[in-house]
Amino acid sequence: MTEAKTARELNLASCHTCTKLVPADQHRCPRCGSSVHLRATDSLQRTIALLITASILYIPANLYPIMYTDQLGRTEASTIIGGVVLLIKLGSVPIAAIIFIASVMVPLGKLIAMFYLVFTVERHSPLEPRQRTVMYQITEFIGKWSMVDVFVVAILVALVNLGGLLVIRPGIAALSFAGVVIVTMIAAESFDSRLIWDEMENKNDNRPA
Amino acid sequence: MEHTIACHGCDLLVDLRDMEHGHKACCPRCGHSLTQYRHDAIERLMAFSIAALVALVFASLFPFLSFASSGVESVMTLPQTPGSLWRNGLPAVAVLVAAFIIFIPALVLVLLLMLSVPLARGRYRPWLKPIGRWIFHLQSWSMVEVFIIGVIVSLVKIAKMATVTLGLSFWAYVAFALLFTFAMSVLDRYQLWNAIEAAEGARG
Ligand SMILES: [Zn+2]
Ligand SMILES: [Zn+2]
Repeated sequence: MTEAKTARELNLASCHTCTKLVPADQHRCPRCGSSVHLRATDSLQRTIALLITASILYIPANLYPIMYTDQLGRTEASTIIGGVVLLIKLGSVPIAAIIFIASVMVPLGKLIAMFYLVFTVERHSPLEPRQRTVMYQITEFIGKWSMVDVFVVAILVALVNLGGLLVIRPGIAALSFAGVVIVTMIAAESFDSRLIWDEMENKNDNRPA
Repeated sequence: MEHTIACHGCDLLVDLRDMEHGHKACCPRCGHSLTQYRHDAIERLMAFSIAALVALVFASLFPFLSFASSGVESVMTLPQTPGSLWRNGLPAVAVLVAAFIIFIPALVLVLLLMLSVPLARGRYRPWLKPIGRWIFHLQSWSMVEVFIIGVIVSLVKIAKMATVTLGLSFWAYVAFALLFTFAMSVLDRYQLWNAIEAAEGARG
């Protein structure tokens, strides 16, 4: 390899499904039949719309109870944060940390990171493309781990069912929180990280040899 | 056979000629992992998929967890996990949970078998290409490993309330999650599509 080149510079588009390089004026991959674009179409607009949806869903997910515990005629509602506090009180700090990271830090961090990435691409920022790509890859990788809290509710509801003695029921926040996780996962998928690097080729003098 | 691919992360062109068994290629510019070459990838896919499906069947049949307090016991099975959400008025969440922990991973494994069985013998089949397109979308929605963490967190949450026992199905699901993860680590766009192309080229 003499000089690092991108597919776009050679007027080639990479098929997202099978990795074949296709001339950029073709819209269908000859090998696998998927549609091919130089860059995902409307990537930024779709990502922003999904991020806003997820941010809105995030509010009820935290305000409403994610589960109810009925113990001897007494009902106790717990929110996501309430569950973390309860775990700390029970002395399970590591598990409280897992839930806090998975249910609070990851979804919030993902939303902030994705908004930041969209914002920098929109502003044609040449800032640290490698770091931003890593940020995107982490965001994409950790997305599904936030479902942990929804699974915990599902397991407890199925397991703890002792008639009048002790019953756990799910709360509506489980629905909005599952929504947040899924919508942010789709947002991460619709963001085309190659947009981060395009700015570098536009400033040719910055190109790595 | 294609030897050059554009990095999915940054679009840089990378030459992938002469890869050895077990060798992993990463993008020199952004670090995105591109492919890992294994000469026995198809056989591994087939073996892991069969084993994972068997483990999933076991995981669905027996008690997963049981919970006992003051002489009363309740037992949970894997299918009951989404089932109770449904009965408690959250059918949408029930469907999502069932899909993420049972149906999507099971479908991915069945599709992997439909790919790997003919490809292992170098045969071309008309469904290879559609499955090769869909499998990568589907696999990113499997959450088997997340569910295992969910079980552990649940155990800690209720350990103080009562006695919780891990059932046979729990261990079967752990085996399933491991085998599924192994299968996914062998599934590789670049290698799979080169195999599909080779099978198509060799067709009569
Ligand atoms: Zn293709
Ligand atoms: Zn790259």
